[in-house]
Amino acid sequence: MTRYKLQQLDGVECSVLWVEKNMSIPLNPDNTDYQEYLAWLAEGNTPLPADDPAT
Amino acid sequence: MSTLRVSNLQNESSSNNQIVLGTDGFATVNGVAMPTAGPLSNRNLIINGAMQVAQRGTSSTTNGYGTVDRYKASYSGGTVTQTQTAITSGDPYDEGFRYVLRLTNTTANTGASANRVITQKIEAQNIANSGWNYTSSTSYVTLSFWVRASVAQTYYVNLKTSDGTSQNYSTSFALSADTWTKVTKKIPGSSNVAFDNNNEQGLQVHFVVFRGTDSTTSGHTLDTWAAYSGSDIVPDMTNTWANTTDATFDITGVQLEVGSVATPFEHRSYGDELARCQRYYQHFATDTANAVYLGMGIASGSTSARMFMPISVAMRTTPSITENGASADDQIDSTYALSSPSVIGSTASTVRVQFTTSGMTGGRPLQLQVGTGESITLSAEL
Repeated sequence: MTRYKLQQLDGVECSVLWVEKNMSIPLNPDNTDYQEYLAWLAEGNTPLPADDPAT
Repeated sequence: MSTLRVSNLQNESSSNNQIVLGTDGFATVNGVAMPTAGPLSNRNLIINGAMQVAQRGTSSTTNGYGTVDRYKASYSGGTVTQTQTAITSGDPYDEGFRYVLRLTNTTANTGASANRVITQKIEAQNIANSGWNYTSSTSYVTLSFWVRASVAQTYYVNLKTSDGTSQNYSTSFALSADTWTKVTKKIPGSSNVAFDNNNEQGLQVHFVVFRGTDSTTSGHTLDTWAAYSGSDIVPDMTNTWANTTDATFDITGVQLEVGSVATPFEHRSYGDELARCQRYYQHFATDTANAVYLGMGIASGSTSARMFMPISVAMRTTPSITENGASADDQIDSTYALSSPSVIGSTASTVRVQFTTSGMTGGRPLQLQVGTGESITLSAEL
C-alpha cells in the first residue's frame, strides 16, 4: 500500500497526506513528518497523485 | 579581604545547621542544594517532567508518541504498552509527584534488533540559550529523575546531540526490584558538542530500558562524550527486563538543569506544562455530549471547505493535522462530514486547512466542529 498521497490547492501541490493516519503534512522542512516523507522518497518510493480537482 | 572558614552556620538559639558549606564546594540551605550555575527559575530544560500532561490519552500500544506529552516511547520486537499511571504513595509521591510514565513489556523480546526506549527531544535553541557552556569540560548539566522497575538490573540513559557531528554520552543506573530510586547524573560539556540556535532537534535524552546487541557493544565506554554510532549507543545489556512478560518500568520527576548539582524538582502548574507541551502537539476534542467549534471557514464549492483554526499557543513549526470525524456546520441546512484534511497554510496563531466533503452550497460560511468521539490534532513534534 502506498503510504503517502499528494494534495493540491488550486492545482498547486500544498501538502502530503499520510494515508494510514489520515494526517496532512505541510511542505515544511522543519516538520519532522515531512522529513520522514522526504526520507521515504529518497528510498525510491512514489506517492499517489493528487485527486483531480475537477472531480 | 578576609575569608571566613566554617562548615556550618546556625542561629545562636538553634542546634540545626541551617547553612552547610560542603567539602565538595556546594552550599545547602535548610537541606536544599543551591544552584551552581544557571537561573534560579525555569531551571528544568525537560518539559512535562512530572508526567502531568497526556493529551493523546493515558494508555497506548503506539510505538512513538502515545500518552504522556513530549515523551516518545519507542520499541522494536514484541509489544509494549505505555501508560500515564497515577501513583498514590512512595518517595516521589511524598515529593509531590502524582503520575509516572510506565512501560509494560506485554510481549517479551530480546532479539538483537529489539529495544525499549523512552525519549524526550529538546529543541536546539533551548539548550543554546540555557546558560550551559556546553563546549567546556568544566561546565555541567545535571540530569535527575525518579525511577522504579519490577526487575532488578542495570539500565542506561544516553544523551545524543544532533548538530555538527552527532555526539553521544551514556551513563548507567542500577535498580533493585520494585524500589524507587532517585538517580542524579552530572554531565560535562565537550568541545565536540554543538547546538544551533534554532527550532530543530538539539538534544535527545534517552532512557534505555533495553537495547539488543545491534545497538550495543561490550567495550562501550560510559560517562564520556564520543561520536555517535548507532551500533554503539550503550554497553551490552542484561536482558532480564526485556525477557520478562509484563515487566514494568516507571519514571517521573525528570529534570535537566544547568549546573553541577541537582536542585529540587521545579514543580510547575498543569497550565504551565500544558502550554509548553502545546508548542509541539495540540488535541482538540469535546468531553461532553455537545459539539465544540474550533474555527470558521467557507464552502469553496460543493465538495471543498476551507477553514481557519485559531491556536492559542504558537507551535514549533507548521503542524501536521489529523482529523477524526470533524464536520462543517453552515447553520442553514445541515452539517457536512469532513475528510481528507490538507494543510494549506499556517501562522503562529492560525492554521488554514482544506477538507473534502459533499453537497455544500459554495460561498456559504461554515463552522468547524467536532462532536463526541471526534478530534482534530496538530503535531509539530521533534
